[in-house]
Amino acid sequence: MTALTSHLKLLEAESIHIFREAAAQFRAPVLLYSIGKDSTVLLHLARKAFWPAKPPFPLLHVDTTWKFQDMIAFRDRTVSEMDLDLIVHTNHDGLAKNINPFDHPPSVYTDIMKTQALRQALDAGGFDAAFGGARRDEEASRAKERVFSFRASGHSWDPRLQRPEMWQLLNGRLGKDETVRVFPLSNWTEADVWRYITLEQLDVVPLYFAKERLTVVRDGQILMVDDERMRLLPGEEPRLRRIRFRTLGCYPLTAAIESDATRLDEVVAETLDARVSERAGRLIDHDQAGAMEMKKREGYF
Amino acid sequence: MNMAALSEAQSFQPAVHPDDKSEAMLRLLTCGSVDDGKSTLIGRLLWDAAGVTDDQRAAILHASHARAVNGERIDFSLLLDGLVAEREQGITIDIAWRYFETERRRFVIIDSPGHEQYTRNMATGASHADIAILLVDARHGVKRQTRRHAAICNLVGIKKVILAVNKMDQIDWSEERYRAIESDFRGIAGNFNFSDIVSIPVAALTGANVVARSVEMPWYNGPTLLEYLESVEARTEPLDAPFRMPVQLVLRASNDFRGYAGTVTSGTIRVGDRLVDARSGLGATLVRIATMDGDLESASSGDAVTLVLDTDLDISRGAVLAETQRRPTNADVLEARLVWLSEKPFDPEAGYLLRSATDLTPVTSMSVSALIDFETLASAQAHECGMNDIADCRILLGRSTAIDLFSELPLTGNFVLVNAIDGATVAGGVITWVQTGAAAVGDNVLVLDRARLSGLCADLGGSPEDRAEYERRAQEVAILLRSAGVPVLIDTDR
Repeated sequence: MTALTSHLKLLEAESIHIFREAAAQFRAPVLLYSIGKDSTVLLHLARKAFWPAKPPFPLLHVDTTWKFQDMIAFRDRTVSEMDLDLIVHTNHDGLAKNINPFDHPPSVYTDIMKTQALRQALDAGGFDAAFGGARRDEEASRAKERVFSFRASGHSWDPRLQRPEMWQLLNGRLGKDETVRVFPLSNWTEADVWRYITLEQLDVVPLYFAKERLTVVRDGQILMVDDERMRLLPGEEPRLRRIRFRTLGCYPLTAAIESDATRLDEVVAETLDARVSERAGRLIDHDQAGAMEMKKREGYF
Repeated sequence: MNMAALSEAQSFQPAVHPDDKSEAMLRLLTCGSVDDGKSTLIGRLLWDAAGVTDDQRAAILHASHARAVNGERIDFSLLLDGLVAEREQGITIDIAWRYFETERRRFVIIDSPGHEQYTRNMATGASHADIAILLVDARHGVKRQTRRHAAICNLVGIKKVILAVNKMDQIDWSEERYRAIESDFRGIAGNFNFSDIVSIPVAALTGANVVARSVEMPWYNGPTLLEYLESVEARTEPLDAPFRMPVQLVLRASNDFRGYAGTVTSGTIRVGDRLVDARSGLGATLVRIATMDGDLESASSGDAVTLVLDTDLDISRGAVLAETQRRPTNADVLEARLVWLSEKPFDPEAGYLLRSATDLTPVTSMSVSALIDFETLASAQAHECGMNDIADCRILLGRSTAIDLFSELPLTGNFVLVNAIDGATVAGGVITWVQTGAAAVGDNVLVLDRARLSGLCADLGGSPEDRAEYERRAQEVAILLRSAGVPVLIDTDR
């Protein structure tokens, strides 16, 4: 067994317990796989929870069509190497209406291409439970969320109606039309995720490591020019910067940081030393006050 | 904290159980009544112990300035009150989880709501904590809500409490007043099973005795809050605790692999040891402890493993694997103390299910015998209970389940009560007494089985929706029968 430090071992065991409880209690679970570091850890824990059997649920990726190319390549390689079932869903209504991160404000774009897309995919698959990689340390409304997070019909979240969760007991008995989001990484921090990736030697998307990449600086944020669809503003001249990402999403909405961290241990050191929280790099969360809570109430993740 | 520091923390306390994996992490509950300043205290702890990032710092400074609630001071509570409704109303309605690390230790802070109407959220938070900070306002001393919180901490099994007497700056740092509150609280705490009670005078707003030692209270020479939190031992289990592993799933894979997946809740098991299924009494020998990282020789409390036995015990989820000598009781009558969490009060005619460890057992009948009075902390005879009450009750189960006394083995001696129709968690409780065989299904219990329900549910097929509707109808019929005085057991497996 790898030499996990004591609290990582505790967190790992807790996550495996959660996976098993959900798999035992729900009829049709699915794992929301968003390719980033948290999903990488989530998937690894799912494999541990059911080993030597395969995880008894498919992976679901909600593809906005604006993800980094490196993410899609990593996704396809992972799924094929581990022989997993992957469902890729895109909101084709949104695509037909050309909803994109340049012409539409982040709140509109996210609602249509992520939140609505997720609801469509969950409804189409008849899933009653969806595993997500959300952590309570990410953001203030996440800090209040349960491990089994119940959603009324329409996938909406009411923070006032959360079920009490006591001790290790997870009550997954669903009421009429209810579904649930399950968060096995609830008690992990960003630093825990990186330490775990290091200790377990997990492969992650190369975008987490510093490299010279083509970028522009817009409103003080570094954006990567990932493909020819990136719209440049007058006067913007893409140039190479040595950057990496702390969090991954749609490339026009995900800010990079300048960094020299090319190895895992350097990324971990940088994370532990970080003076800025991780979601500061997510442009969609700053769009309005309580942005994350609004999205969750509407059924985002 | 870096990884070198983590392993140092691990070797820091040689006295604890060598198999205890939690010594480097402390789960800390904070509770108190409204306006005692809980969020401010935690905010101050995070702020001073470096758990706050620069962008959060800037946002808090900006918001504090805009609201100016504390004059020129920083509003630390903004770090905790995450929900829009809370920011608008200025109250904490739900528990918030925060994480921080010092050089010495990794902490999980569980900030619980003070308002009486959200006591159930507080109970939820408390059940996850190793230690509780009970906050009181130095101007008001111990209140009803403090007693309620202490009673809930005790109920859910917390052994260590810190009385933080806050707002000492508001009473001119008076030692006399502080000692009176401390003595008042120790009197109350005598009613409970706490093993460690520490009291610390603090002022969260100025930071006195939170991280930095107070210069205003030279008469106090105990530890600051952070000093104490960094050195206190987390929850530990006795060295010779009996082995238990509730089965979560039976895992099957190719080449005839069949294993029982679960988390060890107490004790240690080694390959070659004899195990018993508490419900059937059947035994087997452990031949393999399988994990994706390779097989293990032994597994202990807290380990999530898969056990392979030499003979097939024909058991499934809900079974508890135990050592052969000290077994759980295969019980169908229980006495328990519980905290009622639902807005709907206890209803003897409603259908409830008991979720214990990994089992879900139908409740045939349930009665309340007493309620705890939060003024006197004595129990008084009662037959009803509602939200936020702590009650003693007696539960008859439709079939027996493997269970322990909470005082001996908390993780196989706790349960939540579930409303059979809407799935809501209505109460959380601890087993105080168990008995076997007394409630065996007799002539006076009507069993609602598939035969009896066949006419009513003739229109239903096997789809998930139909199965849910089948279950709903069965529960509704049971409610009607109970209201007519007929004891009912739903058993649609037969």
